[in-house]
Amino acid sequence: MTSRRAILSLLAGAAVVYGGVKLAPLAFEADLEFTDLNDPEGFRSFGGGDYSSGSFAPFIGLSTDAEAEPAQLVTEQDVRADICGSLYGQLGPPDNRIRIAAFSDYYCPFCRVQTRNLAAMAEQYSDRMAVAWHELPLLGDASEAAARAALAARRQGRYVEFQEQLIRTPFAANDAYIETLSANIGVDHAMLVQDMASDALTREMQTSKMLYRIFRFVGTPAMVIGRTAAMGQISDRQILAIVSSEEGDLSDGAC
Amino acid sequence: MLLENATNWICLALRAAAVVVFSQVATTANAATTEIQTSPAADVALITAENAIAPLSSSISAGLVISLSDGWKTYWRSPGEVGFPPELDLSGSENVAEVEMLWPAPHRFTAFGIENFGYDGEVVLPIRIRLERPGEPVALRATASLLVCSDICVPLDMEFALDLPAGSDTEALQIDRASADRIAEFAAQVPSEIASEEFAEISAFMDAEARTLTIEARGTHVYSTPDVFPEMGEYTAFGVPDIRLGESGTVLWAQLPILALDEEAADPFITLTDGDQAVTLAATPLDRAPEPPFAVDRMRTEVTTLLWIALLAFGGGMILNVMPCVLPVLSIKLASVISGGGKARSETRSGFLASALGVMAFMWALAAITFGLQQIGVTVGWGLQFQNPMFLALMIVILAVFAANMIGLFEISLPSRWQTRLAASGSRGGFAGDFATGAFAAVLATPCSAPFLGTAIAFALTGGAMDIASVFTALGLGLSTPYFAIAIYPRMAQAMPKPGRWMIVLKVLLGLLLLLTAAWLVWVLSGVAGKTAVIATTTLTALLIGVIAMKRLPEVPRWAGMAILAVAAVVSASQLADQSAGSRSTTTTEWAVFDRAAIAQHVSRGEVVFVDVTADWCLTCQANKVLVLDRDPVADALTAESVIAMRADWTRPDEGISRYLASFDRYGIPFNAVYGPGAPDGIVLSELLSTQAVMEALSQASAREVAGEN
Repeated sequence: MTSRRAILSLLAGAAVVYGGVKLAPLAFEADLEFTDLNDPEGFRSFGGGDYSSGSFAPFIGLSTDAEAEPAQLVTEQDVRADICGSLYGQLGPPDNRIRIAAFSDYYCPFCRVQTRNLAAMAEQYSDRMAVAWHELPLLGDASEAAARAALAARRQGRYVEFQEQLIRTPFAANDAYIETLSANIGVDHAMLVQDMASDALTREMQTSKMLYRIFRFVGTPAMVIGRTAAMGQISDRQILAIVSSEEGDLSDGAC
Repeated sequence: MLLENATNWICLALRAAAVVVFSQVATTANAATTEIQTSPAADVALITAENAIAPLSSSISAGLVISLSDGWKTYWRSPGEVGFPPELDLSGSENVAEVEMLWPAPHRFTAFGIENFGYDGEVVLPIRIRLERPGEPVALRATASLLVCSDICVPLDMEFALDLPAGSDTEALQIDRASADRIAEFAAQVPSEIASEEFAEISAFMDAEARTLTIEARGTHVYSTPDVFPEMGEYTAFGVPDIRLGESGTVLWAQLPILALDEEAADPFITLTDGDQAVTLAATPLDRAPEPPFAVDRMRTEVTTLLWIALLAFGGGMILNVMPCVLPVLSIKLASVISGGGKARSETRSGFLASALGVMAFMWALAAITFGLQQIGVTVGWGLQFQNPMFLALMIVILAVFAANMIGLFEISLPSRWQTRLAASGSRGGFAGDFATGAFAAVLATPCSAPFLGTAIAFALTGGAMDIASVFTALGLGLSTPYFAIAIYPRMAQAMPKPGRWMIVLKVLLGLLLLLTAAWLVWVLSGVAGKTAVIATTTLTALLIGVIAMKRLPEVPRWAGMAILAVAAVVSASQLADQSAGSRSTTTTEWAVFDRAAIAQHVSRGEVVFVDVTADWCLTCQANKVLVLDRDPVADALTAESVIAMRADWTRPDEGISRYLASFDRYGIPFNAVYGPGAPDGIVLSELLSTQAVMEALSQASAREVAGEN
């Protein structure tokens, strides 16, 4: 009798362990961990891990040529006054899609992967999400040049093409390369160069940088999905899960 | 010059360490270390070997200590495709004339298809600082900028201050042992910059289109885990190197695809690393690409490998029995047992044994030929005989006649002629006939390069006499297993259903199968010899069958006609062969010609590359083409703009393609692989393709799925 019971309990135990192993990832998957942020208000953060904000010293990019540094045109107050507009303004008036603000640098290895994935996802789920791209050139002059070129290309409606080329190239974006790229993509190079140096573009970049500071991001890639801030390279699955969570979010949210 | 400095510097550091050990002077802890700047990614500090500046001392040794947390990395002076090397700015310092940062040998990191070179764990970047005024105090004011990445890239900007006073001439007072040791440890990892006997010479060749850089390094050093890091100006980026060793590991040959070329690139500097040894040398330019070393490691075969390969060959041989080109032969043989149901057991037994011997005989003959050809330096590929129009035509004639017989157009009743003996062996007794059946089955098996069969064969071809003999024997044993089985247990054959009407149906079916095989051979022939040859061969074969079927013709003209037609059918194929008929393009997909170097270039642009290695004589390849590659959705996916379809034609032996296959430890085809941002090293598909597998690999390679798996 005892031996039969022992066998039964052993089997039951095995079943539980098996079930646990099988279901654990699902449970893990389903439970997205969010932490509400006090600042900026109404937002929350996803994960965090080792590089949770605060533990890194505040930082705003590797030193570039100080003389070329343009004057500060955007203040923190300006951006804080309209965080949603700063994040998603480039997408136009809100619709029922979840908006994603993506921050990246062309010379950060993981940004290339994240940007490519996110762009593909935005295309695949165009009815559910829309991506606002923010340039965050933290890695010196080449990063800065690439970011400015991409934003200038956006003014000619060729941002996506430019971005695609830039994340594919192992080249450092120097003037000659940007000229070649313009010719290939069919962008007016003279206008591009003019726009690259324009105040409007500087303002746009400074807004992105300010957002990065306000959200206490420490590196790239980083993104804000609806009202959820996430740092580091995160998987398509996680992005989709956050988007779903945002879709089901009944709170007023921040935006 | 750099090396001289480094060596001086190692000496200095080591001497310093020794002095401290012997004098046992307690130095103030961290006297020559700045405060550690901490972050979750890395702790960074600036250290110096000296606690104080000795009188007349004109230089100091410093180090930027970067202790990276688990999973974090930072970069070498050439970071790879993207990335950012650490920078140190000492311009705010006092009494500093010149600063030189040295770079310990890097490691290679590959993530998401991006090649990066750098460091993980702890690294000390040694810095040699020359003083403006020897012997006077130094105030170091440094700004370090470095990029650290895990799954996020964080740029760190840190400031350090370190003051070194002028010290007395007691050396011990001026050296911080711990710091000196740490700097010395990493200074020893800085690649040596002069040629030695061990690393005597590195030469390099860049092809005219700047697609690949080929490197050859010679010396007495025996490489074990080498890596190659060429540098050719700031903007030049390389893909993954294909590294080969030769001459007992003393010659290193490497080929790297050039992903991007710096317009002003000078001759390359090559850094070679192997374990804890490293060297950086200017490469001597070559006029042409150095030849890759011969794959010596294949010549010595271990017993276990040989057993394994023999097992594969045996399994492959067994599977060959159910291949469409062999199954009919086996079935016919079985049918003979069915028709002669009352045959004595011993007769059945010896009959099947004879067939098995026939298989073995053919295999051994093939082994002998292979060995002979290998001896005179000819490359032999399995199924290579299918490039020969004569051989193809002969097979077509035999198969067609055989098929016609099965379908019932005539009965072969004269086993005295050789080709009819082959065909009739199924329905007639006699050891010769049985033997021929076996041999015939083996001949027919050749084009059916089933999975893993290719591996065994190619292994045999690259191996020695022993390898060849054992592989072909195992192959033969596998193919003849059914015959042996029936010879041992004749009941197995007698357990077959009793003869009846179904037999005729079966016979016709088998005949149709043979006809199908013949039709396929016709198709192969059209690829090898062109249309004219095909028309001639098929017409003559049809006539031949007609003559055979017309029994009312007088004996002599009928036999003469048969002989003439058979010979004409076979000879015409080679006589009328169109030499220009090479690879055919029957597909709508635009296949680019295989270019191994271009793969990495396409991938670096975010494109997906589909590689198909095929040959006209490869049955499985043809099946893949017809069933998967030329059908939607695969055909459609392959024509997409971001997908490059490359076809390598192995119909004729090609050294480059063979080498490419060998890099995957594959020696036979079909071979298909998909590369892309999500799979920079390639996803190798199984020999028998399925639409689903191809589509999955394509989407995985396009990188969309990779992130999803994290």
